[in-house]
Amino acid sequence: MEPAEAEFLAEKELVTIVPNFSLDRIHLIGGDLGPFNPGLPVEVPVWLAINLKQRQKCRLIPPEWMDVEKLEEIRDQERKEDTFTPMPSPYYMELTKLLLNYASDNIPKADEIRTLVKDTWDTRIAKLRLSADSFVRQQEAHAKLDNLTLMEINTTGTFLTQALDHMYKLRTNLQPGESAHSQDF
Amino acid sequence: MSEAYFPVGPGLGPEENFLSLDDILMSQEKLPGRAESSLPRLAFALGPGAGTGDSIPEGSKLEIPLWLAKGLHDSKRRIISVELPKIYKEAWRTVFSADANVVDLHKMGPYYYGFGSQLLNFDNPENPEIAQSILQTFISRFRRIMDSSQNAYNEDTSALVARLDELERALFQAGQKGLNDFQCWEKGQASQITASSLVQNYGKRKFTDMDG
Repeated sequence: MEPAEAEFLAEKELVTIVPNFSLDRIHLIGGDLGPFNPGLPVEVPVWLAINLKQRQKCRLIPPEWMDVEKLEEIRDQERKEDTFTPMPSPYYMELTKLLLNYASDNIPKADEIRTLVKDTWDTRIAKLRLSADSFVRQQEAHAKLDNLTLMEINTTGTFLTQALDHMYKLRTNLQPGESAHSQDF
Repeated sequence: MSEAYFPVGPGLGPEENFLSLDDILMSQEKLPGRAESSLPRLAFALGPGAGTGDSIPEGSKLEIPLWLAKGLHDSKRRIISVELPKIYKEAWRTVFSADANVVDLHKMGPYYYGFGSQLLNFDNPENPEIAQSILQTFISRFRRIMDSSQNAYNEDTSALVARLDELERALFQAGQKGLNDFQCWEKGQASQITASSLVQNYGKRKFTDMDG
């Protein structure tokens, strides 16, 4: 899966906006949205929020976890623990990128937030690599990692699965098992 | 799914994949061996003879490519017998178990893992040790490949891949691709439309160059 696909899935998450237009409830295949009244906050999926924001029809309200103190807490906890801590949203990386690119004027201290999320990401990726290395080193059969997000899995997934494939092939060499195919007739 | 064709990968263990280019290139690597019986009229191909009528005398040392060795190898050992190349022997095996990261696997035969797996086809009392040594070498070098491939963004990686063999290079590229895709997405380039690599070389791309 590519990062763009993970971003597409992330756009289904709900976020609060404050529209400046009014519209009755709209009925979409995925569900109902609205009604929209100027000045009243309403929850919409991110894809719609970004679109409205680009047309200057709304103001975005950042999710409650996108706040400097909260993110600092999350980052520090991530650094303390050896395992992965649960993230406030399974799409934190994509949401950060989308919201900070399109709506940075609605989000206070956007640069600090970007830095904090990047730090947390780096810590988690480092833990993932450490875990992959010990997995390979001890030739385990299976491992369980909780609280990983899709984007992290994507970034290291291809490499890890190919390496494990090769390791599997080399391990089957150890079985003296079936005799080699014979070419004599 | 953005590629037009999926190459066939190398085979599993002592089997080769017939259609895999990697396996074909790998089986061209040579093994040291001896001719067990006299091979008539083959000196032009395998030995130092000049004329087409010369035969290879019994007991002479030859360097045989793997595909030929596999075909001619017989449990009754009438035709040729093979020896292990030196990197799979005891001396090098201890070097690998001491520290596998310092070895230049590209120089040692760019298909160390594949060739080693193929060597297990020939009955040899050292087979279990060879298999174990190849596996352990892979495991020790895994960490370095992972770190170097995931951290080198937009740099010249030729110094990093110089010491890796072909299988490790394929892994390195997979890691690089994961990294590049992520960085490209983060910069926002993933949503830009670019010309597909398949049509970039066509002559008729520019609208202004066409007549009428």
